[in-house]
Amino acid sequence: MSADLLARAMTATRVLDEAGRLLRGVETPDGAMLLDGYRRLILARRLNDQAGALVRQGRLAVYPSSRGQEACQIACATVLADRDWLFPTYRDAAAICARGVDPVEVLTLLRGDWHCGYDPVEHRVAPQATPLATQLLHAVGVAHAATLRGEDTVVMALCGDGATSEGDFHEACNFAAVFAAPVVFFVQNNKYAISVPLARQSVAPSLAAKAVGYGMPGIRVDGNDLAALNLVLGEAVARARSGGGPSLIEADTYRIEAHTNADDATRYRTDDEVAEWVARDPLSRLRTYLTGVGVLDESQEQEFAAQAEEMAAQIRAGVGAETSVNPDDLFAHVYTSLTPQLIEQRAALRNELTLEEAS
Amino acid sequence: MINELPKMTMAQAINAALRDAMTADESVVMFGEDVGTLGGVFRVTDGLTRDFGENRCFDTPLAESGIVGLAIGMAMNGMRPVVEMQFDAFAYPAFEQITSHVAKMSNRTRGRLRMPLVIRIPYAGGIGGVEHHCDSSEVYYAHTPGLTVVAPATNTDAYGLLRASIESPDPVIFLEPKRQYFSREEVDLTSAVPPIGRAVVRRPGRDATLIAYGPSVPVAITAAEQAAAEGRDIGVVDLRSIVPFDDETVCAEVRRTGRAVVVAESAGFASVASEIVARVTERCFHHLEAPIGRVTGFDIPYPPPKLERHFLPGVDRILDAVDALQWEPTAAPVMS
Amino acid sequence: MTLQTFTLPDLGEGLAEADLIRWLVDAGDTVAVDAPVAEVETAKATIEVPSPFSGVVAQLHGDAGATIAVGSPLISIDDGAGSAEEERTGSGNVLIGYGTTAGSPSRRPRGSRPTGDPATSTPSTPATAARDTTAHRSGSPNRPAVQSPIVRNLARNRGIDLESLVGTGPGGLITRPDVESATPSSDRTAAIAAAPDPQGSALAVGADADRRTGLPVRDRVPIRGVRKAIISTLTRSRAEIPDATTWVDVDATALFDWRTSLSERGEAPGVLAILARFVVAGLARFPELNARVDTDRQEIVLLDGVNLGIAAQTERGLVVPAVRDAHKLGMRGLHAEIKRLTAAAREGSVTAGELTSGSFTLNNYGILGVDGSAAIINHPEVAILGLGRIMPRPWVVDGAIVVRQIAQLSLVFDHRVCDGGTAGGFLRFVADAIENPMSALAEL
Repeated sequence: MSADLLARAMTATRVLDEAGRLLRGVETPDGAMLLDGYRRLILARRLNDQAGALVRQGRLAVYPSSRGQEACQIACATVLADRDWLFPTYRDAAAICARGVDPVEVLTLLRGDWHCGYDPVEHRVAPQATPLATQLLHAVGVAHAATLRGEDTVVMALCGDGATSEGDFHEACNFAAVFAAPVVFFVQNNKYAISVPLARQSVAPSLAAKAVGYGMPGIRVDGNDLAALNLVLGEAVARARSGGGPSLIEADTYRIEAHTNADDATRYRTDDEVAEWVARDPLSRLRTYLTGVGVLDESQEQEFAAQAEEMAAQIRAGVGAETSVNPDDLFAHVYTSLTPQLIEQRAALRNELTLEEAS
Repeated sequence: MINELPKMTMAQAINAALRDAMTADESVVMFGEDVGTLGGVFRVTDGLTRDFGENRCFDTPLAESGIVGLAIGMAMNGMRPVVEMQFDAFAYPAFEQITSHVAKMSNRTRGRLRMPLVIRIPYAGGIGGVEHHCDSSEVYYAHTPGLTVVAPATNTDAYGLLRASIESPDPVIFLEPKRQYFSREEVDLTSAVPPIGRAVVRRPGRDATLIAYGPSVPVAITAAEQAAAEGRDIGVVDLRSIVPFDDETVCAEVRRTGRAVVVAESAGFASVASEIVARVTERCFHHLEAPIGRVTGFDIPYPPPKLERHFLPGVDRILDAVDALQWEPTAAPVMS
Repeated sequence: MTLQTFTLPDLGEGLAEADLIRWLVDAGDTVAVDAPVAEVETAKATIEVPSPFSGVVAQLHGDAGATIAVGSPLISIDDGAGSAEEERTGSGNVLIGYGTTAGSPSRRPRGSRPTGDPATSTPSTPATAARDTTAHRSGSPNRPAVQSPIVRNLARNRGIDLESLVGTGPGGLITRPDVESATPSSDRTAAIAAAPDPQGSALAVGADADRRTGLPVRDRVPIRGVRKAIISTLTRSRAEIPDATTWVDVDATALFDWRTSLSERGEAPGVLAILARFVVAGLARFPELNARVDTDRQEIVLLDGVNLGIAAQTERGLVVPAVRDAHKLGMRGLHAEIKRLTAAAREGSVTAGELTSGSFTLNNYGILGVDGSAAIINHPEVAILGLGRIMPRPWVVDGAIVVRQIAQLSLVFDHRVCDGGTAGGFLRFVADAIENPMSALAEL
């Protein structure tokens, strides 16, 4: 294994330093693209905050926040073409919205109306589910099917640091590498799996370094640097698209909020640690850079804030709206056609509901 | 003029079904461990890679969860995968993928993402196998809503039901009674594809009904033949599908005879046989002369080869169970 | 502008209250949606609570330092476009969801549940109804549908052909009463102590021609009310009690003479009252015949005192009102009570309590003009004494044939509670008292 490959798996790629300055020797990123990326960061941040508030107001059952990880969320979605697929985890609502799905549809799952609120085929975004790493294999399957049919499709498969311990992570990486599937495995290493810190999750030199074992490139990147993420993820997608096979990208980032709203993070980490990472906020870093190079001004900030507020208002209205759930749906999609047993059971439930309404 | 039907083993019948399905629909692909070059440890996929190419029938790395997960993704992207779990118990690592995703994906996405895939599982015993190779785990799949569970008992049904399973838009667990891989029968490849979810009366009877599926069906038929020699007219119902269950056919038979015994190889406690007894009793209670009996394996891990014969439901045990169905020595006097 | 009150939402697992650390707004402040209005501390964490409404703060519910219960008002805001506030009680948010809700909804009405095959717990829908072919009709290919294997056995034991019955249960189900009221192929000698039922037999078989005989049906009498209760008691008695009968002829001449002498001095108690007095005395000596059989506890329960049932034939059927505490009444008292009860029975004004409180029954079927009867015990009593006609008959006294007033006493008893010795002893005691009332006085 070449030293260069290992180096890229260990040392995080960076474009902007933590003070928002362009690193020496790095190619200047496209300003207009980064400005749009910044706009999307604002929207993602507002989504996280608004969803969190909705939980505290009792309108959502739960919200696993990606606050602090917005750069990862935006980059992994925006490097994809329309014909590509995104496989999110339960924490990646912002990424799904960045892919163009209506936020209210995305939040349907968390409001408790149904298990998935958006059309996965229309948006080419897999449904969110709780099990960890299992969807990575599905991602490989989608990619491999495309290969067999000669179609141009890249699959962006997301997971966290905790998920890399699951067996399915290993199997997915191995299958993808053996089949040279056009998959980008994007690990958002936010340092915690609920309360379990990275040091207890893996003692690998880095998570990206695991790629060595599978025979595919592994690259570590600063997960709070949108410019670096665009660069690294863009490369990986291009490699997959040109038949170069899968990559494992590890983003170094941090989960600012607790696991979900009902988790108490003070039990397993210190406020000081959180404060350190707040100081590395991806939004402020990019703001500093873009302002410095004259691409971002006050009127654009206000414009972006207004967009975010408009989105937030739509989310509040959509999530707060009265919806009705139809008990018949319990039976409608278990099979393509209802079995005789499900027909009986649906009739029994309908009968109960009729009696309830009559009383 | 009726031509003689070809004789083939169940392995060959399944092979023919795979061939014909892959010919009819190019989105059908077959993969698993050792199914490609080797043609499968039971030669069920013999020649498929040679004839259809490695893009249609191929080997995967050794990872059952990976195999099923890959199939899920391929089904999401428009293909119809048929995968093989090499032996019944080897499917256990894939359980999460099967129960959390294969079974739930259609429901989760309101039918937008269907799973038209088939998981072929050689199951059950009677081959003198060492540990882990003879399990009957059908109840776990039967208990999982969203799965279709098919259990052919004859070679003709193995062909027909596999074709039906591959054509189904829903995911199917296809249970192949491995001891019958080698048994040769006349197979009618031209008969209509049997519908999934319909049982068949293999043998009508007047006095009692044996309800069985998979490898227990031939045993039940043998038992019924022996009983006939002893003066009892016993019928046999072959379920063919465990899920969906054919309440109508089974209950019509039991209502006619008033006496029934369920025969199944797996351990009896909390088994498919238990469910059959419960639902048939609920629906046929007022016609019953006796409680419905069960002849199943003991509640033990599958035994080693030398003790296997004590475990498997045999003809004698079945007929003992039939004898226990509260027969009358003579009929009650009838009003003249 | 409407006043919106925001209650303290659930903030974490199982928390029922929070301490208000400080307000972040004052009354009169304008707040925006999601602006934090208060800092609260729970057992788990310190949390800023955001406002769900925009508007002007009208009222703060509580001072800094107060403890506020989840679900109680936190802040009221004047808001033009109110939005619905959800109130939840229960565990509060859990890691992965809303958490539990408090209070279960009130019970909904129970639907009528069709019993019988198939799928007994689900109502029939068009889809399933189409496949319901299980109701038994004569001549259908299905075997008859019977309520339970026990009832099926009952039919078999009584020699009843199920095919001949029309079941009265849902869907034509053959029920236990259907079997119990059916006539088997062999005749039962089930004579009932009372007169033959003037309402006619309630056995109905087949359509409007009787299947067995081919004769047209003249009338169909529904089994209801008193008849139904009588049938139930008698059937149960026959089914449960292993009864035996013993009888004796008594010479009542001396009793008649004695009664005649009493009546010269005023109204004499009736024969039945006199007999009743002797019976009560006899039961004191033979208490087993005044008892209950408690099969659950496996006990024979001997009673202290007698409520004496007097069988009375009324227009509506046989009823047995009981003289309460008959052991405390003398002959005259018994006479008055018996008269009162039989009159009330005929009028239909006997109370339910009077009809069901007997411990022993006295049955004077002699007034119907018959001599003897193997009566049916009035379940749950254990014995019944019957008195037939008292008529002049040839009798042997001191070797000569004379004319005497002779009656037959018949005692039917539950053989579980005693043997022939006791039964015979009781019967003999009563017979002796009748035959020699003066000597009997010594025994009373």
